[in-house]
Amino acid sequence: MATTSVSTGRPVARARKRSRLYAMKRLRRVALYALLTFGCLVTLLPFVWMILGSFKTSGEIIRIPPSFWPENPTLQNYRTILTDPKLPLARFYFNSLFVSVSVVTLVLFTSSLAGFIFAKYEFFGKNVAFSFILATLMIPFQVLMIPSYLILVRLGLIDSLWGLIVPGATSAFGIFMMKQFIQGLPNELLDAARIDGSSEWGIYWRVIVPQVGPALATLGILTFMGNWNSYLWPLVVITSHQKRTLPIVLTWFNSMHGTRYDLTMAASVLIVVPILIVYAIFQRWIVQGFTLSGLK
Amino acid sequence: MVSATSSGQSRRRRAFSSHQRGRSIFVVSALTPLMLYMLFWTLVPMTWALLLAFFEYSPTRVGGSLFGLGGDNPFVGLTHFRNMFGSTLEAQKFRMSVRNTLIFSFAVLPLNLAITIPLALAIEAIDARLKTVYRFVYFLPTVTASVGVALIWGYLYNPQQGLINMIIRTLGGSGQIWLTDPRASVLGVPLALWAIIITYLWWDMGYNLVIFIAAIQSIPKDFHEAAQVDGANIWHMFWNITLPLLRPTLLFVCVLTMISSFQVFDIIQIMTSGGPQDQTRVMVLDIYLSAFRYQQMGWAGAASLVLFGMIFIVTFVQTRLLRTQWEY
Repeated sequence: MATTSVSTGRPVARARKRSRLYAMKRLRRVALYALLTFGCLVTLLPFVWMILGSFKTSGEIIRIPPSFWPENPTLQNYRTILTDPKLPLARFYFNSLFVSVSVVTLVLFTSSLAGFIFAKYEFFGKNVAFSFILATLMIPFQVLMIPSYLILVRLGLIDSLWGLIVPGATSAFGIFMMKQFIQGLPNELLDAARIDGSSEWGIYWRVIVPQVGPALATLGILTFMGNWNSYLWPLVVITSHQKRTLPIVLTWFNSMHGTRYDLTMAASVLIVVPILIVYAIFQRWIVQGFTLSGLK
Repeated sequence: MVSATSSGQSRRRRAFSSHQRGRSIFVVSALTPLMLYMLFWTLVPMTWALLLAFFEYSPTRVGGSLFGLGGDNPFVGLTHFRNMFGSTLEAQKFRMSVRNTLIFSFAVLPLNLAITIPLALAIEAIDARLKTVYRFVYFLPTVTASVGVALIWGYLYNPQQGLINMIIRTLGGSGQIWLTDPRASVLGVPLALWAIIITYLWWDMGYNLVIFIAAIQSIPKDFHEAAQVDGANIWHMFWNITLPLLRPTLLFVCVLTMISSFQVFDIIQIMTSGGPQDQTRVMVLDIYLSAFRYQQMGWAGAASLVLFGMIFIVTFVQTRLLRTQWEY
């Protein structure tokens, strides 16, 4: 303290320089926040435009030039959609939920079981089997799409929700992910259960499954979103209106109503928003899962 | 004593071997059906796809007993692949789709990196609590259904009712016919394809962003601190520390972005159906239309193998280009 007050000139210059440096740093921070916030607005704008559009009247939506804020906000579009007899939304929500929940259940079971076996057992052909599973990750879906369709034709599963579930019951990525996770669990857990007289199935069900909750949650949410949003495969498999899933219904509805954006935006809100809510709740796991996965 | 010990040992051994048998039974009984199931849904379609490409196959004809190939669905050898270079209408459309897919992917990759890397660095440079908020917002489009994305952007691009032309006109520019004008182009690339590229970037960027954020977080802080002590500025630190250390991630992201943009379908099928004048027709759309609208599954199968080959080449080349010899 004493020394700084005694010495003259230089510390003042240094302090001035430091304060200029701070100012520059502050400026850079402000610029950074401004840029990030601007980016956020650009990212959010399409969603905002969708939601605003869904509250506009049919007269306002076709007006040129268009308005940004709805002048007479109305719920009429939602009412029209929810009461349209040709659009039994409950039915389509059920279809999408049925497919997604079934696939998630199957994938969680098959992935954790196979992941457990590959992580904790030694057996003949293990490396070959696991390499095969990894190799299937490299085959693009579009290559398997046509033959898979032809298989479904022979199994009589075309135009059936089961046609969307059966081919997706196992997941190479899921097995890989669960194997990585279960490998980290100590072997003592398994041995302790064996000494207590537990069977191997018992170990899987009572020791492994309770331990891998976070991994199952991540895999489950990713699989759910993938199936809920899926478009190409349902487009190929489903032919009758009653069996459509939500994405297919939405495009059908759009083709029926052409440029009635008030209606199509309201329908989009009804289909996009549920998954955004799921995302808001499970954000951490979803982001983590996507980072891990390298899949979409 | 001795006998007791040995009997104890043998009992233990017996118990051990019964455990061992229990494990073997478990592995065989649990894994065999699973593996057979996976083989059925990958190896059978893969083989079938390889065969299809060499046959003139349509599901409307009965054909032979194995896979319905042969008979009315004759073997044609390499005809499909040779025809891809021919002058038939479907060959021209196919080549157009390959061209558009390549333009699309080679435009998307650098633009995506140019947005996501700076954004990830910026997000990493700010306070922890806001970091989550920004990451949440930037990731929103990525979890949105492709169908929703396509419909929202179709409305945004609408020449009369859309927001984009409204903003352009407010700023004093003239509105564009984004999705349906076959003559409009920017830098030699059709305007409609640009419109799709922009939509795709908006939809897809959050995914690479979170990967880069995770990678930047894993870089040890000491490196940057040491460089700062040595008087490096931000720019130096980015080029000489961050970027080289991001190299493995960069490789991963490049390959994945390229592969997924080769497979783009949903937004194009909904927004433009490949138009105007096939200017946004991409390979998966071409495969889908050939197989399921025109029932030309042999031809479509051959096209899907070309897509497979392209994906394979890109993966291979990029692995070569961005290989690193070290880890940290």
